[in-house]
Amino acid sequence: MTSIADGSGASGRAETMGVWFVVKRTLRKPQFWFGFTMIVPLLIWYWIFSFWPIIQAFRMSTVAYKLLDPSNSPFVGAGNFLKIANHPLFWVSVKNTIMWAVYSFIFHLPLAMLIAVFLSKVRRGRNVYQALIFVPVVVSLVAVSLLFKMLMDPEVGQLNKLLSGVGLPELQWLSSSSSALPTAVIIATWKGLGFFVVILTAGMLNIPSELYDAALVDGTNPWQQFWRITMPLMGHTILLITVLLAIGSLQEFTLPTVLFGSEGGPGNSTYLYNMLIYQEAFLDIRFGTATAASLLQFAFILVISILQIKLIRPTWSY
Amino acid sequence: MAVISETRGARRRLPRRILISQSLLQIFLLGMVVIAIFPFIWMIFASLKPFKELVESRALLPETWTLRNYEEILGRVNFVAAFRNSIVSAVSVTVVSVFTSSVMGYIFSKYRFVGKELLFTIILSTMMVPFAVIMVPLYITIANSFGLADHLAGIIITGFYTAFGIFLMRQFMESIPFELIDAARIDGASEWRIFFTLVLPMSMSPMSALAVFVYLINWDSFLWPLIVLNSQDNQTLPLVLAGLRNLWWTRYEMWAAGSMLTVVPVMAIYAFASRYFIRGIAMTGLKA
Repeated sequence: MTSIADGSGASGRAETMGVWFVVKRTLRKPQFWFGFTMIVPLLIWYWIFSFWPIIQAFRMSTVAYKLLDPSNSPFVGAGNFLKIANHPLFWVSVKNTIMWAVYSFIFHLPLAMLIAVFLSKVRRGRNVYQALIFVPVVVSLVAVSLLFKMLMDPEVGQLNKLLSGVGLPELQWLSSSSSALPTAVIIATWKGLGFFVVILTAGMLNIPSELYDAALVDGTNPWQQFWRITMPLMGHTILLITVLLAIGSLQEFTLPTVLFGSEGGPGNSTYLYNMLIYQEAFLDIRFGTATAASLLQFAFILVISILQIKLIRPTWSY
Repeated sequence: MAVISETRGARRRLPRRILISQSLLQIFLLGMVVIAIFPFIWMIFASLKPFKELVESRALLPETWTLRNYEEILGRVNFVAAFRNSIVSAVSVTVVSVFTSSVMGYIFSKYRFVGKELLFTIILSTMMVPFAVIMVPLYITIANSFGLADHLAGIIITGFYTAFGIFLMRQFMESIPFELIDAARIDGASEWRIFFTLVLPMSMSPMSALAVFVYLINWDSFLWPLIVLNSQDNQTLPLVLAGLRNLWWTRYEMWAAGSMLTVVPVMAIYAFASRYFIRGIAMTGLKA
């Protein structure tokens, strides 16, 4: 910290002139004081609100945390990890969370790609379409949850009235344990799609149009252009959105909680892993097992992200 | 002769083919827009219907228009306080974190000091840690060390820095030439002056992008406020709105009115500033 030097070139003479001289010279520099007053609050903040909690999480996961006397919490080693793995809803929540992520990929990626391709090809009104498709992203997720819970009510909801109006069988939507999870992911997709569409469209418009002109001269059809030009050149963007999608869907909490309450109804069919952690921590007040559960999630997300980067990352760019 | 007529024919055919494919694109995108927007339009009218009509009728427009839902909801739930809390927390987090991200982006890109790259790497790697890992220790810190349990400040102070913002601003600041800053130094400008009158004005575009991004995330934040804020007067909009579910079980007209009160102000802002929102998200995608 003591040797903040300016960016334009610390001279080689410094080594020959003694430490004290360098310190004195540094202290006189305006860059030093500017940097110092900015970096010190950063370090303090990051220590209190990020580094220290992370270190604490590792420590807390190995003790039976005593709320009233934290420093005397007994050490239990891997006990918290065994306890959470034996939680009656552990495997249920793991399975639901993985299904949530899988459905998220199935619903988000092809649809977002399709809309982005069409948006990048359309000649008139692109900005208007984009702005309107983006509207659900801006709106509060809780309002969206309530809105769809109303529309999807099996008795009085508009969607079933619509289905029966055109002679189709009515659906249970969020009210049956077999359809609740995919239906909830559909709502999540409706709400989040615009975000991915905007990122993908920006990436596609960034591809030099000469490439498509050249391909057109070579007599390719749009299908070939998509798989041979768009997809390979979108590698970095696709990597970004798959990582974001995986990280986001594996940590989903708000939507199922607002739709179904903290127990993830019907019949725990939408009980996700983050809801388990929340319940352990703040409803059952077992801080030790809750942080142990969160560290398992951390490890899992880390492995998934590294796998994605290894599998998808393009080895070249243009 | 044959060749010429063929090219002419092709020339005439080409615009028509494009016209057809463009019309198909327009129809498809229009359909997507309807799917994205129609539920909100339904909600507007639903909030103006009495309960009985909302449940029984299929019609979009109300038969009896009423504002009673809004009266009842404003009388029972303190929406004004929730609104104030949401705006205060989202705006202050956005202002502070966009400022700190710009300053730190500048310092990480233009200054040299011992351990710079290490510090930057450590800060970036905190992004990989899921929020669930730190939420319990962070809550203990906020509640016990700071005494901020059930205080709005408890959800504001934790948002003062963002690793993603520092990363984004550093990426941009790399493109500002050293010569420009050195020239200002030779002219005798102080570091503060250089930052505020030279660097900040050049960084308006990534700053507005970051501001939109941070604002959206904080306005919608649910889990952390749920942990920190307990009493209704201190809660933010998403929490109060989620509470309607338990307050009025299946009183859908009340849900619609509450959602409208939450949605309309955001929509009003979006109607004027949608360009910045879109550009902000697009830019974060391209830079990251």
